[in-house]
This record gives sequence, structure tokens and C-alpha cells, in this order.
Amino acid sequence: MDDPIVVVGSGASGVHFALAALRKGRRVLMLDVGYTGQDAVRPSDNLNGLKRNLPDPIGYFLGKRYESLVLPGASGEYYAFPPTKEHVFRPRSEFRFAASGFSPLYSFAAGGLAEAWTGGCYPFNQRELSSFPFAYEELAPYYAKVSAHIGITGADDDMAAVFPLHGGLMEPLELDEHSAVLLNTYERHRSYLNERLGCLIGRARVATLSRDLGDRKQCSYLGRCLWGCPTQAFYTPSITLAQCRTYPEFQYVSGLYVDHFRMDTVGRVRSVVALSSDGQAREFAADSLVLAAGTLCSAKIFLESIYRESGKAPELHGVMDNRQILMPFVNLRMLGRRWNPDSYQYHQVAIAVQMQNTGQYIHGLVTTLKTALIHPLVQTLPFDLGTSASAFRNVHGALGMVNINSPDHRREENYVTLDVGSTPHRLAIHYRPESGETERLKRTISTFRKILWKLGCFAPSHTVHVRPMGASVHYAGTVPMTDKPAPLTSSKHCRSHDVENLYFADGSTFPDLPAKNLTFTLMANATRIAEEAF
Amino acid sequence: MNTAQLERECRTYTRFLIGQAPTPYVLQHYLDFHQKSDVMEAVKLDRFDQFLVGVSARGPFWARLADSYASVFRKNSTVRKKLVLTLALLECAPPSFETLDRVDGGGPLGAVIRLGWGAAQYALTLIVSFVIFTPVCLGILLSSGRRPVATVER
Repeated sequence: MDDPIVVVGSGASGVHFALAALRKGRRVLMLDVGYTGQDAVRPSDNLNGLKRNLPDPIGYFLGKRYESLVLPGASGEYYAFPPTKEHVFRPRSEFRFAASGFSPLYSFAAGGLAEAWTGGCYPFNQRELSSFPFAYEELAPYYAKVSAHIGITGADDDMAAVFPLHGGLMEPLELDEHSAVLLNTYERHRSYLNERLGCLIGRARVATLSRDLGDRKQCSYLGRCLWGCPTQAFYTPSITLAQCRTYPEFQYVSGLYVDHFRMDTVGRVRSVVALSSDGQAREFAADSLVLAAGTLCSAKIFLESIYRESGKAPELHGVMDNRQILMPFVNLRMLGRRWNPDSYQYHQVAIAVQMQNTGQYIHGLVTTLKTALIHPLVQTLPFDLGTSASAFRNVHGALGMVNINSPDHRREENYVTLDVGSTPHRLAIHYRPESGETERLKRTISTFRKILWKLGCFAPSHTVHVRPMGASVHYAGTVPMTDKPAPLTSSKHCRSHDVENLYFADGSTFPDLPAKNLTFTLMANATRIAEEAF
Repeated sequence: MNTAQLERECRTYTRFLIGQAPTPYVLQHYLDFHQKSDVMEAVKLDRFDQFLVGVSARGPFWARLADSYASVFRKNSTVRKKLVLTLALLECAPPSFETLDRVDGGGPLGAVIRLGWGAAQYALTLIVSFVIFTPVCLGILLSSGRRPVATVER
């Protein structure tokens, strides 16, 4: 026990594991690449204040190299990724991959991918945890702990049927006008939507403060969410990382890419080998190793280590991700209405649909577009740009987007392995959608268009965008938790069945992937591992 | 890089999009983008693309004609990219962002009437642009083969 617990990665899982272990008095060494972005500018300005007061607003919103400019033919997405979050997806040359049927995203940022998330916190319910080796009741206390720590807002409404009510929930944020209109319309058509379309609608659960929590102040509705909350009312894992760094037993070493671990003669992790940016290898002794680098990066470290020990590169089967559909819509009641940029910008309304023909549970998040850059959308209107810009002004307040998530399940044909034929070795990712997916997506799109129509909204079919597999970044399933020990699986406490003191604290161990953002469950599960297994 | 030509483009496109002249700040960024990015480098354009850019810079009317044509027949053309660039600059900068955010009022009915009027104007412009630009496009294709030689601007 002289050596520390080594945690790889500072994302949502890593920092929650570390914090829980530190609270138990354990010594933690966190290794991370740890890219950081710029500090928040003018934290008291609202969005339009930034445009007026910054010395170079174009540089801030479009980037110094215009990297957030979306030109015709450049992208299938509707949002320009803000330059302030560019560091979240900055690559590291040592991590290479070859993918088929999958477009992977990964992060080496301090705080990980959730530095660019939209804050959705949706607990898995008992049915969704049925493949996990524990029941909802065992995870519920950790949902409550995480909620009390990060601050989650939500309401006890129809959505409680699919999002269990856990402890620590704050009262909801102020609704923007468009979201309020949608919820009022739902109230009027509730029975039709519930009974005919299997649809429930209610307040979203988001990791944004509606009242002060510790040093963090409640949301001040500056409308800057997309560009990075300047007041920390919106939770990102770097907040918890900063908290971990206040513990004397915590050591954070950034600038390091963890390549593999070494084992001793009895097959336990002995040390971790990491590369600095100049290619120098550094070795860190470990009491136990917790991989929390994200499903893909953790798989790469695991496979690389096995290959170095045995000369073999196994296949990790069952990689999963949520297929996402983006469905822009126009709320006809909101046409020609003024809109308020000083409001919360991420989703405030959630939709749950029990598909009547397939039995699938589908999850939708409704964002009412307000302060996103308009040029990516204006260019998609079927007019010249002058007419489109003029028309857009009067439909801007009526626009919205549903982000629709489908579930995924572990399937043998989807796997990751190590491509040892390349230097450095690459992570090879193979993914094939389940048969019948196209038909199911069509039915999902049709159902959501009907729901929106009932809510007074029109969703043009040609603007619906099925995102490539990998785009949701809800990766899971490569080293699944199981009650029965088997090679390349993990225990109920996410301990590897192959290496005694190796743990996976990220999505790698999830045996199933419901149609929900998994981040909240990642945080709760990582806390559970630290509290119950260490 | 032909600075005078680029400035003329930016002035024309801004008047076309918001009915105002660009600020020196927007103008400076329009030039800066062309310096930093090779997306719209003239050497990469075919002759009809260059023609559309040249015509569109003559004035807002011509910009509307060229863009109407491009919106159907050349969706990823350079003239459209330059217009989207101008729009992006204007939406980030004062005071033009306020013009782009301004709602005309009149509620849903007013919005629908304006949309209908805009669509009718667009349809008319599209027809005129088709009559004017299609022969030019065909002429360029026939006179110089399928891949016309580009001239170098910088």
C-alpha cells in the first residue's frame, strides 16, 4: 500500500473515482494529457455584451483561424464547434486508430469529453440496469451523492416514469419562452401523446445550478452556455479536478500520454508507462491501476499492455454507442416572435418515447436554438442568402432541435483490437449497425415528426440528419461487468477478471447502453467503485 | 491577393445581406480570412466560379442574381462561400449582429407574409439568373473544355 492508486484520465469518471478515493483517505496519482483552454473572458457580460465589448469578437466566436466558420459543403452538423472548446478534441499523435463503420471522438483535455457536454443527467432505471450485476437500489445512493456534488436540476413530472427521482435534485431552471410554449402545448395534448404515440414530455435534468452550491453561483442566464459557462454554474469535470487538487494525497501529472502498464510475475499491475510530449518514457509504480481514459483510450492501454506481456492482441467485443438523429423544427406558434438571448441555452425539455412497434425506448432532448451562430443554418434555407438571412430573423425564435438517441446493445461483431502492423500501434474499431436499423430509424423519425406536429411544430424531412455511429460519444461495452468471471470481462466492481489490481472506471464495463446520456451513470458508478472496492 | 477586389466584394455582400456598409473591422477580417485560408484561392476556381464572383461584386442586385443561381445550381460555389463568410463575420460583430437579430414583428401572420414575399422575389430572381447565367456557363464550358484554365490572383 506504499504506492498510490494510479488513475488514468481526468474525465467525469476519473475525477469522481479520485474524489471518492481521496475522501476515504487513499493516495491518488492521476496521469493525464490534460490539455486546457482559455480562461473565461468578461465573466459578467451576456452574449451580446461580449459582441459589443470584446476587442476582437470575431476572433472569439469564429476563432483566430476561423475554425468555427461553417462554409457550404463543409459539414453535416448544425452547430459550429466553438473555438473556446477547441482543446477538448485536440489530438495527441501517439493515439492512432483505424475505424470501419464508426467515427470515433476522443479527448485528451483536462476534464475530458464532458468539458464539451450539454449537461444531460439521466439515471438509468431498473429495467435499463437489468443486464448489470447490481440493481438500481444499489446505484441510487451514488446518483444522489453525485447529484449533491455537481448540482442537478429537474422536476417531479411525467418524466419520473423513465428518469427515477434521486436525491439531491435542485428545482428546475427558469424556462425560456419557447420551451414553455412546448410544455404548455404538451399539457393540452397529453392524453393523445401518451396513449397514441407512447410519448412523455417534461423538464430535462441538467447539471446546471438553479441555486448556489458551495463556491459556485447559480445560473445567471448570460446565454453563453455554448461558448463555455463563465461562472461555473454549468458543471464540467474540471471543477471536480480542481477540488481533488486541494487534497494533499492527490498528485496530478499532466502532459503525459499513458501508453501501457507493466505486470509483475504474478500478473498484477506493477507500474504504468507514460510518454511525455518529447517522447520520453516515464514509469510510475502503482498499488492498483484505474483506467478512466474513456472506453476507446482505456481499451488501447489495456490491449497494448496485453500485447507487450503476451505477444497477442485480443479482440474486445461489444463496443456500443447511441445512434443519434438531429431533427430541426419550427414552432409555428413562435414565428415572428422576439427571442431572449439572456436565457439558458442547452436543452430544457426532454421527450421519452416507447416505440409501439419495436418496444424500444427512445430519448429526445429538445434545444430551442437561440444564441448558436446562425450562418450554418441560414445557408441551408432554400433561397439566396439575402432572402434566407431576412427570413431567418423572423423564424429564429421559432427554431428548435431534437437530439434523438437510440439504445445499443453488445454484439459480437462489433469490437476493438490492436493493429500491431502499424507503428505506433493503432486501435482498430469495427462497427456494424444491427440489422433492421434503417427501418427502425425511419419509424423513429416518423414518430418524432408526428409528436412535433402535435406540439405545433413542423420538422422538414430533408433537414433530418442521422449522425454517423460514434458521434454521440457514448461509448461503452468492451470489458463488460459480469457475475461469472471470464477472460476480458470485469467484476461487479469493475475489476478486471484478467489482472487482479486493474479497474475500469469508465464506460468500458457497461453491459448495455440505454438511449440516455451515460455520463451521470459513469460518475455514479465511478464513485461506487471507489467506495465499495477500495 | 487583389485587395481592392476583396474590399469591393465585402462592401457589396454586406449591403446585399443587411443593407448597410461593413465596418472597417469586418472588412479587415474579410481580408484576413483570404490571407489565412486557401479555401477561396482564385487559382483553384474554374472560370465560371470566377465569373460569378466577379459579377456578384458589381452591386447588391448582381450579388442577389449570382447567389440565386448558385443556391440551386452551384451550392458549394465560391460566391456562396464568400457570402456565408460575410454573414458569419456580420453576426459576430457590432453593430451588424443587432440587425441580423432584429425581428420585424407582426407575429406568425407577419412572418408568413414576409416569408411568402421573400420566396416570390427569390423565384423571380432565380428565373432571371437562369436566363442570364446558363448561356454564360455553357459558353465557358464549350470554349475551354470541361475544365477551364484558371487565372492566378495571388
